[in-house]
Amino acid sequence: MTGQAQLLPGTLDLLILKAVSLGPLHGYGVLLRIEQISRGALLVEQGALYPALYRLVRRGLLKASWGTSDNNRRAKFYELTAAGRKRLRQEADGWNRLVAAIASALGARPEEI
Amino acid sequence: MRLLAFLRSFASAFFLRSRIEAEMDEELRSHIQSRADDLERSGVSRTEAERLARLEFGGYQKFKEECREERGGFWIETVWTDIRFALRMLRKSPGFTAVAILTLALGIGANTAIFSVVNAVLLRPLPYPNANRLAMIWSTWGNETRGPASGPELIELRKRSRAFEEIAGIWVTGGTIIGTVEPEQVRLALTAANFLPLLAEKPQLGRFFAPGEDRSGAAPLLILTDGLWHRQFGANPGIVGQTARLNGNNFTIVGVLPRDFKLLFPDSRMADVQVFIPFLNDLEKQNRDTGYIRMVGRLRRGVTVAQAQSEADSIASQLRGEAKEYAEQSLRLSVLSLQEDDVRSVQPALVSLFAAVVLVLLVTCANLANLLLSRSGSRRHETALRAAMGAERKRIIRQLLTENIFLGCLGGTAALGIGWVALKWILSLQPEGIYLLIAAKLDGWVLAFTLALSILTGILFGLAPALSVARGDLVEILKESGKTTTTGKPWLRQLLIVSEVSLGCILLVGTGLMIRTFTSLLRVDPGFHPQNVLTFQLSFPGSRYGTVESLTNFLKELRTNLSAMPGTQSVGGVSHLPLDEGLGNWYSYYWPEGAPVQQQNTVMADHRSTLPGYFRSIGATLLAGREFEDTDDAVHTHVAIVDDTVAEQIWPGQDAIGKKLSVEDSPTGPFQFEREPVVVIGVVKHVQAHSLTSKGRGQIYLPVPLAPRPVYSLVVQTTAPMQTFAAYVQQAVKKLDKDMPVSNLRPQMDYVEKARAQTRFVTLLAGALAALALFLACIGIYGVTSYSVAQRSREIAIRIVVGANSADVGRMVLRQSGLPVVVGVVAGLAMAAVLMPLLSGLLFGVHPSDPLTYAAISLVLGAVGVLACYFPARRATKVDPMTALRAE
Repeated sequence: MTGQAQLLPGTLDLLILKAVSLGPLHGYGVLLRIEQISRGALLVEQGALYPALYRLVRRGLLKASWGTSDNNRRAKFYELTAAGRKRLRQEADGWNRLVAAIASALGARPEEI
Repeated sequence: MRLLAFLRSFASAFFLRSRIEAEMDEELRSHIQSRADDLERSGVSRTEAERLARLEFGGYQKFKEECREERGGFWIETVWTDIRFALRMLRKSPGFTAVAILTLALGIGANTAIFSVVNAVLLRPLPYPNANRLAMIWSTWGNETRGPASGPELIELRKRSRAFEEIAGIWVTGGTIIGTVEPEQVRLALTAANFLPLLAEKPQLGRFFAPGEDRSGAAPLLILTDGLWHRQFGANPGIVGQTARLNGNNFTIVGVLPRDFKLLFPDSRMADVQVFIPFLNDLEKQNRDTGYIRMVGRLRRGVTVAQAQSEADSIASQLRGEAKEYAEQSLRLSVLSLQEDDVRSVQPALVSLFAAVVLVLLVTCANLANLLLSRSGSRRHETALRAAMGAERKRIIRQLLTENIFLGCLGGTAALGIGWVALKWILSLQPEGIYLLIAAKLDGWVLAFTLALSILTGILFGLAPALSVARGDLVEILKESGKTTTTGKPWLRQLLIVSEVSLGCILLVGTGLMIRTFTSLLRVDPGFHPQNVLTFQLSFPGSRYGTVESLTNFLKELRTNLSAMPGTQSVGGVSHLPLDEGLGNWYSYYWPEGAPVQQQNTVMADHRSTLPGYFRSIGATLLAGREFEDTDDAVHTHVAIVDDTVAEQIWPGQDAIGKKLSVEDSPTGPFQFEREPVVVIGVVKHVQAHSLTSKGRGQIYLPVPLAPRPVYSLVVQTTAPMQTFAAYVQQAVKKLDKDMPVSNLRPQMDYVEKARAQTRFVTLLAGALAALALFLACIGIYGVTSYSVAQRSREIAIRIVVGANSADVGRMVLRQSGLPVVVGVVAGLAMAAVLMPLLSGLLFGVHPSDPLTYAAISLVLGAVGVLACYFPARRATKVDPMTALRAE
């Protein structure tokens, strides 16, 4: 595994929304999905996932229902609500703008000034 | 949408708590198991996989707590857990819990009781429709403020005022009613037709008087109160339309007032009016300067009292320009809201008592804060442990505060019981003049007040200890591990003692001043000697005693009969007993006969109709001349007796005997007023007629034939006991007139005691509050000193080992614990000196900075404080060095 990055504060919610947007997931699944889509670059402390999930449910961005996991365990599945989808779009846009701005700032060369 | 989600999570948090808790556990466990499955697949054993999964997951309880917090509706659950935890803690230390709840119950209970009084008297609106728009209109004649209005004044005001939509009037007198049982002397009100509709929606039976039914020549009608209807007419529902005999005339009963109707006017004698009749008089035709009517009006919607006042000012000035009677007496009018006017005399007392009880609450808080601080040693260890296990500081403070608020509420619940008992006691004191008090009860407002107070108290006494507990270095505290240590800040506890003592000191000084006031009242010479003086009241209906002769004959015969009674030393009588506020006062201008116009209408005096033997019987001091005799009748020279106030006002330094005075009398019959010269035949010492504390107007006494009145009080100086006397009087009166009721049979001392009642009431209550504060302060001082002795037993032991003797140790403890007491006393005295002038309205015969009171209070408080330190200090001297040192 190459270069793991610490999560910036506030980005966990965005990552969860993104992970869940690809299909309903249980908590452990969310964790795996984040690892997978960040190609192992982002590590989430396992327990810390749950408070975030509860927070997103409370805000009406996720909804939860009980189901059965691949390895036949009862698990709680999360999926995006309409509000959650909208929020994901907004946050992703905001994030992309920020990243572009930072990247361009860091890429600045003396002759451009 | 979000609100809905919030509400859902909130509701589920509340109702499905245990299910959700189980689901949360299941979810987290399922995660760990899934992880373990993956790890197992990569080749580790199942047990190892589960161990690793748990390790990777992190602090299970911590995350669960965070989940709970994130879930919403969380605080309810926290509060619930905290309360359960608090209950456990309180159950673990029953001694502390008992003392805390008792202290709170006393402190809050006192507040509950006093607040229910304040609420009933000062805050709750009067029980009348549109009570906030009712206002009294007083006439000011010359220098007599708050005077009654004359008939023409009422009519003129009604005609000209735009600010008032109704203006009504009432005059209270006495009368005799004969219903279906014994004749009864009642308080009777003559009113304008629009008076009762101002104060009640509708009668419970029949109707009110209709407009015009108060004019002269209208049929005599009568409205009963509920009480009299029950007493005299057996609550007969068919009473309307029947007749009753009132003062010898037939009146048709047209209505019965609602059950809870009460005249709550600034004049206590109105409170027990039982019969209402219309004026039956054309008010506009009466004398402009014979004031007797109390005016009450209802302001138009949106008109303020101030606006009505400025209108009244201009009407008064118009009236002065139009009639010489108004001009000569420089008539003015003042408008006052009925509610404010009602409580005028009791407000200062109640506000002071309320302030006092708030001080008691502060002492309670200081005491509890101290108690909690003493416990904080052991609590610090426990909270440090919880902090070490991951509890946030905020969370710990919140938990401690919840615990204290919960304790406050427990105390508040007990306080309701104490408050109820205290209120019963207060009501049983029946203070004269606070008649709104009867309505005091523990109603919703009082309950809400108590609840708010409990919570506030919990925060107030709990905040400092909670902060102090939650602070501090974890490692240090845990290292101390259960050792008794001097924790927190000793100065905080000292400061609490200082404030407790100083607050208690303020209360004690206030109480001391009230006690001094009361003893001054006991020493006041009212101008008469009430010992062995028994009195009763008779009323003389105009129908049978319309002539002066019939009245004087009756009184003369009764006097002879009473003189013959065994034990009688002297018999007399007067139209108004001193300090009896039950009847409308009679007073008017007087001047030396022949005085120039500008000297007329300047000074007023009470005028009293007097029987021979009155001054001797009541024990007044005749300074010069003689008493009235039976020969002083209207046919011979018109005579009068004046008091020294009147004599000095108009003939300073001269002998008043033989001088001529112009007074208002009525030699042809009651209410037939005329102005006549009378010759002064005697001077008596001034009698305090209305209060023990203020001197009041001078008095002019006229013999019965010159000034016949509808009501007389007989005054008998006798050694006979009250019961024998009462039986004899009933019989003697019945023999002369079988329809004449005897009322107010009572010793003259009763009236004197009534006059002291309000001061007595305030003194008793202030005394109770001060005693409570003193008691609490004692507990506080005792507690802190004992605690510090216990804390320092090791140090004391070392001192003893190195050679200090027990006297040294005792002195040291006394010195250190006594210091905050001394500081508190000094601070308290200083604050009292600043605050006490606010009480001057309640004080009499003592200065607000009376040095004797201050000195006595500092002695008492100092002594009690030292005593509270003494026992713990003595315990310190008994410390056995070996035991104390080994214990550590």
